[in-house]
Formats: sequence, C-alpha cells, structure tokens
Amino acid sequence: MNAASARASRTMLDKVWAEHVIVPQPGGEELLYVDLNLVHEGGTFLAFDQMRAEGRRLRKPKLTLAVTDHYLPSLNRNSGTTAIPDPEIRNVVQWLAENTREFGIEHIGPDDERQGITHVIAPELGLTQPGLLIACCDSHTATQGALGALAMPIGHSNQLRHVFSTQTLWQRKPHQMRITINGTPGAHVTAKDIVLAIIARIGIGGASGHAVEYCGDTIRAMSIEARLTICNMSIEAGARIGMIAPDDTTYEYMHGRPYMPKGADWDCALQYWRTLPSDDDVQYDRELALDASTLAPMVSWGTSPEDSAPITGRVPDPASVADPERRGRIERALNYMQLAPGTHLSSIAVNRVFIGSCTNARIEDLRAAAHVVRGRRVAVPSMVVPGSTAVKRQAEAEGLDRIFLAAGFEWRDSSCSMCGGSNGDLLARGQRSASTTNRNFEGRQGPGAMTHIMSPAMAAAAAITGRLTDVRAL
Amino acid sequence: MKPFTTLTAVAAPLDIAKIDTGVMLPGRFMRIRRIPGVADYANAFVHDLRFDEKDRPRADFVLNLAPYRDAAILVTGMDFGCGSSREGAAYAVLDFGVRALIGPSFGDVFVGNCLQNGIVPAVLPIAAVRELWRQLKQTPGAQITVDLPNQTVIAPDRTRYEFAIDATRKERLLKGLDDVGVTLEHLPQIEAFEQAYRQRKPWLASRN
Ligand code: SF4
Repeated sequence: MNAASARASRTMLDKVWAEHVIVPQPGGEELLYVDLNLVHEGGTFLAFDQMRAEGRRLRKPKLTLAVTDHYLPSLNRNSGTTAIPDPEIRNVVQWLAENTREFGIEHIGPDDERQGITHVIAPELGLTQPGLLIACCDSHTATQGALGALAMPIGHSNQLRHVFSTQTLWQRKPHQMRITINGTPGAHVTAKDIVLAIIARIGIGGASGHAVEYCGDTIRAMSIEARLTICNMSIEAGARIGMIAPDDTTYEYMHGRPYMPKGADWDCALQYWRTLPSDDDVQYDRELALDASTLAPMVSWGTSPEDSAPITGRVPDPASVADPERRGRIERALNYMQLAPGTHLSSIAVNRVFIGSCTNARIEDLRAAAHVVRGRRVAVPSMVVPGSTAVKRQAEAEGLDRIFLAAGFEWRDSSCSMCGGSNGDLLARGQRSASTTNRNFEGRQGPGAMTHIMSPAMAAAAAITGRLTDVRAL
Repeated sequence: MKPFTTLTAVAAPLDIAKIDTGVMLPGRFMRIRRIPGVADYANAFVHDLRFDEKDRPRADFVLNLAPYRDAAILVTGMDFGCGSSREGAAYAVLDFGVRALIGPSFGDVFVGNCLQNGIVPAVLPIAAVRELWRQLKQTPGAQITVDLPNQTVIAPDRTRYEFAIDATRKERLLKGLDDVGVTLEHLPQIEAFEQAYRQRKPWLASRN
C-alpha cells in the first residue's frame, strides 16, 4: 500500500469528523460544528444562569432541543410538576421549562407525548441521523452513535454554555479502536451480554482516549435497539464515542420518523449516508475481536461494570489474584456488595428488580422481559419504567403492560428513574437490585445500595425467582 | 469573564493535600442556582471543612479566622481540584472571592474550569509553597502579589517566584477571554463554514 492510498482510506469517524472541522489543528483541539445539541434538566440550569448573567442568547436556538428525563417522577405524573413532593427535584424540573421558554428552545416536557429518556427518544423521533455531530450534556450520549452519528458527551455548565453561544465545540480527535464481534449468540445472549463481556475483558479504562467502532457479523445482524444498547455502554469501557456504521437495517429504522428528511431530501441524504462506513483497508490504532457464540448471559458482581461474569460462574476469590492492586479492588468491591468469595452467582438473592434506563428500556427490551414473565409471578418488588412514553404506548398496544401487571410488576411512566435515582426512585441502604442499567458504582442507585446489572430477560428471571438466575434454565 | 493582570491581596494558607472537587463543592449544593446578587456558591465552597454537622463554623479552620476570611488568593496543597470533573467547583472558588490559586499541583480538568472563570492557577515548587504557608501563618492578613504578565508571585517578604503558564492560557486570562470569547474571534470562519455546510447538506438546511 503506498502513501497516497493509505491517506485515502478513512474510518467512519475520520469522515464524519472532517465534515465538521471549522478550525483545523491536526493533533490539537479543533473547532467542530455541532448539528444538534440535546439538553436535559440535570445541572444545566448552571449554563442558563451563566448565559443570563452574561447577557448571551443561543446562537442557533433551533439546533438545541431540551428533554425532561432525569428528575421526572415515574409515578403520579398526571398531577403535574407542581405536585412533585421534593422541592429541590421540583425546582430542577421547573427550571428547565422556564429556561427553555426564556431562551426560545424547543422543550419536550413532562406532559409531551414524545417525552422519554433523551438517548431513547432522539433515535425514536429521527433526530439522530448518520453523520451528524450531536452534543449532549450526559455521559451516555454515545448511545446515539449506533446510527452512525458522532455523538459526544459535554459538561453541563461551561461546555454547554459554549455550545449554546457558538454552536461549536473544541475537541481533540481521539484515537480509534475497532471491536469486531462475529458469531451467532446463543439463546438469551443479548447485546447487553456482549457489551458486558467486552467491558469485563478490557476493563473500565480499556478504551480510554479512543473512539470505538463496533463491527462484525453479529453487529450487522442486530436490530437498531440492540445496537443502541451496545453503544450506550461505550463510556463504561472508557470511550466517550461509540459508533456503528449505518446499513439497510438503519435506514429501514429511520425512514419516516418525524425529524427525518423526506422525499427528495431523504434520497439525497441517503446517498451521503452510504458513503460513511469505514473504508475496507483502513488501519485502527487498536483492535479487539470477540466471538459472540461462546458467550453466556452476564451479570455484574462488583462495583464497576468490568466486574461482570457469566451467570454460570462464581464471585471471584481475591486470594487467588496475584496483582495486589486488583486484589485490593476486588476485596473492596466484595465488601461493599456483602458477598463472600466463591459464591455461586445464581445463588445471590435480590430485594428489587428494575427494568428501565437508556440502556435497556426500548420496546424490544420490554418484549424480551415480558416473554420471560408471561404466566409467572414476581418473588420480589419489581418495576418496569419504559424508556419513552412512545415505548410505553407501544407496549400497551401489544399487551405487554398486562403481562407485567399480572405478574406483579409495577408499570410506571418514562423517566431515568432508578438508574441513578435523581428523581427520588432510590434503593434503600443495604438493598440489592437486579437492574437493566449501565452502572453498578457504589451508591449509584442510592447510598449503600447494591446493584447487579444484566439484560432485561435476566432481570425478569431474577424477578420471578428472587435471586440472580440463568434465564436459560428457568 | 473578568481579565486578570496583577492582583495584590490577602492570601490564606490552605495547606491540605488533595482537596478534590467534591470537597470544594459537595454534591448536595449542585442543585443551587447562581444568580448574581441572589444566590451563588460562596457558602458551598469547602463547606464541610468550614462548618460542622450543625452548620456552625469550625473555629479552628483557617478560612474562618478573621484576617484570612477575605482572602482573594489561596496557597493550596498538593493536587488541589483533583477528582470528578464537576465544573461547578471553579464557580465555588470564584464565588468565595478567590481569583488566584498558588500550589504545587492542580487537577487537570479543574485547571480548565479555572481558566473559564478567570482564576489563575499558579504552580510553584513545593519548597516555595511551604515558604509561603510559613509567612502567611506567621503574619495573618499578609498580602501576596500574583503578577500574570511577568508570571511572578511576590511573597509577603518580597521574594519573587516565577511560575510557568502556557502562552495561550496566559493570553486568554489577560484578555478575559474564556472559551466562548476565543471561539467568537473565529466567528467569520464559523459563518463561512455554515454556509458551505448548508450547500453540501441541503437536507439539513431547514434546521440550520
Ligand atoms: S437512564 Fe441512566 S444512564 Fe441513561 S441518561 Fe438517565 S440516568 Fe443517565
């Protein structure tokens, strides 16, 4: 390969990045154009207050969209935001409504039929498109890379104010890593299990400083919902950006959604989107390959997503770990999780089950959980919080709500809910959950609460038995 | 953002290592708004070091002692501002009335946030920092000068210490340019980009 052809072959990230560079500075921070800026209520009032104090307005208000999700109650929504009992939570919800009104930003508020978790509704509404640079003040923004967008997390005060004021971002181009997944996964082995297996292998810092592109037959065979789950957890491997090349599955998913281009515009866009996938002979800075056919359903046992293992396994024994750093970390994790070394994962009893979040609360996730739950009863308090109001309606149209309710699940309104508990949906101290979320950090679901993350089918199985359970054996 | 040139002010010795951003701005204060003249993070700044569980000032904490209370310069310990990236930590410093920090090292992300808010983070060798602590303790209310154009810290005893600062960062502080200010200097380029971009991607034009 000569120098010219080496230069000519580019990754999808290279292509999309190049389209957005306003002030080039190879190797340094470059000024990039932001196509879409998504805002939620968590902490963003700081950016608005700063804007107001400086007398600034949004440079392109039409390119920002606000969504209420983090602090929104999952219960009693008909009573309106004035009925939110906790004044601090109520304030945060109401400030977003006031700020967006004052600054002329479209706001998908609590009563809007389109409401949902930002990363769920952006693809759903067709806001997320291949080749767009999307900024959002949230660490799970990479979710939207599943459609071939360059979706980046930003800070909710200084950086957000910068995007508001300029419609641009200063960013250094990351290194690039390709994760190739081939093979047909076995029964009940889902996107969640695959991404947990990746994180368990490379660690939570494993992809730091890199943008990840997920490739391979397994990805190609996946639905968009499943691809969104994969990209969602890129940050749990340390990557701020995760992308999947668009293909016919993507275009089929996107076509006709409200914010998508229509008619001749669609054809024109499609022509461009088809140029985006990485060139065949392109070199990545790092490579990782995974055979999905060898995987089992995964659960986490510790306090970091990398602390995950097949459900058929056991809690590790720190005594058998040579590296003192790692041994100490496992000891601390087991201490927090109140687990003895060597415990069979499938013997761990849980107090609560949560099916929700931007990782796993789309329609396919709820179908998978309902499939397990049908005709059975929960053993512990369990709830389903759909990822969006549209997902909720769709599930109700399919009768999934009745399956969950008959089994004893709570069927709530869309919100981030118990993923991080900003809205007050918290686990009590010392309680243990089976949860379809993305983070099992200490205190993530409440002070002193213990979280095991897994797929929707696995969480549903845990709800039925009251312990971590291999759904394949249920 | 206010430009920073030279500041001569009362300085306080905050000789505690690893004050992270979570100590600087405890999480529970992050639901407070910042409205000029109404509410800010002055009270939140290192709140749990300054106040006990019942919200009474800790009598022995340096920033609660009369001559140090009005310090606009802090001489900090190792790794000041390490930990999470919470941008509000720099607001807390600023709202407390501090415009310059002098210390042996600072958290990376925190430094970026200081620059957004016109706060100078001056790194000096630990020996110099210890000497400043000694003088400030010996003479409560003593003043230090932070001279940014000459990249010099002048101790109460008039000893001069030079500090290094990246040329771009220095210029931004001197001009009072935060990220937004720097970017808006590129406005013609941004506008030209947008025009070309709209032509390249006509299907996005209706939204641009
Ligand atoms: S569902 Fe959880 S991870 Fe997703 S945006 Fe909400 S709080 Fe963050």
